[in-house]
Amino acid sequence: MTQFVYLDHAATTPVRDEVMAAMAPYFGARFGNPSSMHRWGREARVALDEARERLAACLGAQADEVCFTSGGTEGDNFAILGVFRTLRAQGRDAAITTPIEHKAVLAAVHQVAHEGGEERLVRVTRDGLVDRVHFADLLDERVAVASVMWVNNEVGVVQDVPALAAQAKAAGAVFHTDAVQAFGKLSINAKQTPFDLLTISGHKIGAPKGIGALFIRRDTPLEPMFHGGSQNRGRRPGTENVAFAVGLATAAELLLAEHEAEHARLSTMRSVLEQGLRDRIPDVIIHGDGAPRAPHITNVSIPGTSSESMLMALDLRGIACSAGSACQSGSVSASHVLNAMGVAPDIANAALRLSLGCLSTDADMQRTLDVLTALAEKARVGKAASAACAFESIEF
Amino acid sequence: MTNASVHGLLPQRGERVLVAMSGGVDSSVAAAVLVEAGCDVVGVTMKLHEDGKDIPDRPCCSLDSTSDARRVCDKLGIPHYVTNLVDRFGHDVLDDFVQEYARGRTPIPCVRCNTFTKFRDLLHKADDIDAPWLATGHYARMGTLPDGGNTRVMLRGLDPAKDQSYFLWGIERSVLSRLVLPVGDQTKAETREIARRFGLRTAEKPESQDICFVPDGNHVRVLEEHLGADAPALSVGPLRLVSGEVIGEHQGFARYTIGQRKGLPGGFAEPMFVVEIVASERAVVIGPREALLGRGLEARELNWLVEPPVLGAQVKVQVRNRASAVAATIVRMSGNAIELALDEPVHAISPGQSLVIYDGDIVLGGGVIERGMRTAPSRRLPILAA
Repeated sequence: MTQFVYLDHAATTPVRDEVMAAMAPYFGARFGNPSSMHRWGREARVALDEARERLAACLGAQADEVCFTSGGTEGDNFAILGVFRTLRAQGRDAAITTPIEHKAVLAAVHQVAHEGGEERLVRVTRDGLVDRVHFADLLDERVAVASVMWVNNEVGVVQDVPALAAQAKAAGAVFHTDAVQAFGKLSINAKQTPFDLLTISGHKIGAPKGIGALFIRRDTPLEPMFHGGSQNRGRRPGTENVAFAVGLATAAELLLAEHEAEHARLSTMRSVLEQGLRDRIPDVIIHGDGAPRAPHITNVSIPGTSSESMLMALDLRGIACSAGSACQSGSVSASHVLNAMGVAPDIANAALRLSLGCLSTDADMQRTLDVLTALAEKARVGKAASAACAFESIEF
Repeated sequence: MTNASVHGLLPQRGERVLVAMSGGVDSSVAAAVLVEAGCDVVGVTMKLHEDGKDIPDRPCCSLDSTSDARRVCDKLGIPHYVTNLVDRFGHDVLDDFVQEYARGRTPIPCVRCNTFTKFRDLLHKADDIDAPWLATGHYARMGTLPDGGNTRVMLRGLDPAKDQSYFLWGIERSVLSRLVLPVGDQTKAETREIARRFGLRTAEKPESQDICFVPDGNHVRVLEEHLGADAPALSVGPLRLVSGEVIGEHQGFARYTIGQRKGLPGGFAEPMFVVEIVASERAVVIGPREALLGRGLEARELNWLVEPPVLGAQVKVQVRNRASAVAATIVRMSGNAIELALDEPVHAISPGQSLVIYDGDIVLGGGVIERGMRTAPSRRLPILAA
């Protein structure tokens, strides 16, 4: 029987049982609309307000600073375009970001340019860290918003957000960070770090897909994306998804409670995996390993292999991971992140992102090591003797 | 005529087969019957175009088609992947398509896609996932020669109305031993019936007719995009009679194909056709039906799917899809070029189209037509090296 190994937690995670249980009443008996004045409405409203408070507490924020969204993409768009559209009238019409952001941020900043503003990309080092000197150069009086992701979703590199946020604020810009991969992996506290806006997403942390939140520091200039009722203080109208908001708050609390133990557990497993790969495949490249990294992501290239073929072969052996950014058709194209880090195209085309999480076990690491090693060997032998077609299948 | 037994070698139960899935009914059924036969089937859809250029309602190569392939695989309980061959397809197929038109020829991109993309690049994917077999939904058959050596050959599809062997002559011969063509001995109606039996969503899907990267069949738009609207092939040039007399002008020779009648001036005693395109002079030459007749031809990029026949061999040749095969004699072969004398005259032998050589139903090989000849070439001795 195939041993299934899920190493794609950075893509999504299963909804936790505790989260399911917490959400269940709001699909059934407590189905009310939080804006209604009757008992059903009140019940829902209380649950929603409580969820907002609980999530705020997890972020070191005030309840009114938490705006529920549909997820990471909405949060990123709201933050960047919302600030730009408000401040452009005051002559601040530029947006800064990094070339290694998630597409949600890159596309939102691109939209800024499309709407007549200016798009500025700050350079990153070979390890994927923002070039602070260049960042300072770009931060002039025209900048409305600077957006730098806290943990990169492809390589796991951690940016120095406290310093970058302070730098941006000192230049009069609003600072946003996409913390979708950071939330639950690093400690995030709005009281200690001067970010103005911070995006999180539910489905990366055991809550459902379709819920997220944007932290909006008080007095941050932010035009809403949608127009409608007064929900979320008018910043994000539309009947709130009470059940999912409760789910997100529950997942966030669990995450915080388990943070230290889980951090240690994932770090250890990742070390085993990376050390094992280095031992067995000496020329393996681990991207961003010269920089601080979150504990759950490793991005490796085995020279002479191709991501696409490896992903297929791994999946056929029950191992799930990913590479680059998946396009809508489901095919793989080279990673813009690795490209921005100056990784050579043939190495970037061999990249595999393995991301650990709640489902990961020590046995998973061993199995992955064995399979990866065998596949790498086969692919590279095959390449060396390119003419011959050998079909000896590898059994495990 | 040589007889071959159809389906000599087939994948055994449990053997892995990569099925090239376009999202159409033919490849869906190919996958279904292999699953039913107990093979370890993996569906793969080739992504050949950039996202932005995907045309949603086209029958093949679009996001919708990929989704159809994925849904069919899900229904069959097999894995499905998308392989990104955009760069390679662009280089091997699209660029050639554009360059051929720029040279005044009429290319068949599907032939090159089969040769280089499906049966070479995709076969490498099969290697990568340990699949000894590659299957497609082509209407052609695989068989074995009665030579005791289990020599694999390709045969025409059983249904003459659907036979696609004309597009398959260019694949590397060694690939034949790994090829499975499950629908080649069926009619389209039978294929659809099988799709219905399996409850596949593609059962009633319309036939794809056009070239997958040419929206609405308008190849000129693709050429404009790649060559620029002011390229010689798309610019004004003389319209001439066979006699050399210039009778007007045309808006670009790449808009014309040998044998074309549409879009030519009227007022002649008999119907006029495009009989020649002279790219170096940007000229389109027109003439009566008689001027279209060819009695010989030269082809290049020759490829054999069997042991090459000898000089003087009698074969059957086809110079267009759906044309009937005519008897011919091989009068010259050197390197990758071949010259044939046709037993009877053939209409509209077009440079860039394929010459496919048959022995009965067996595909012997083929090449790309370099030129047609008004008179039959006579048998010549091979030129001896000095």
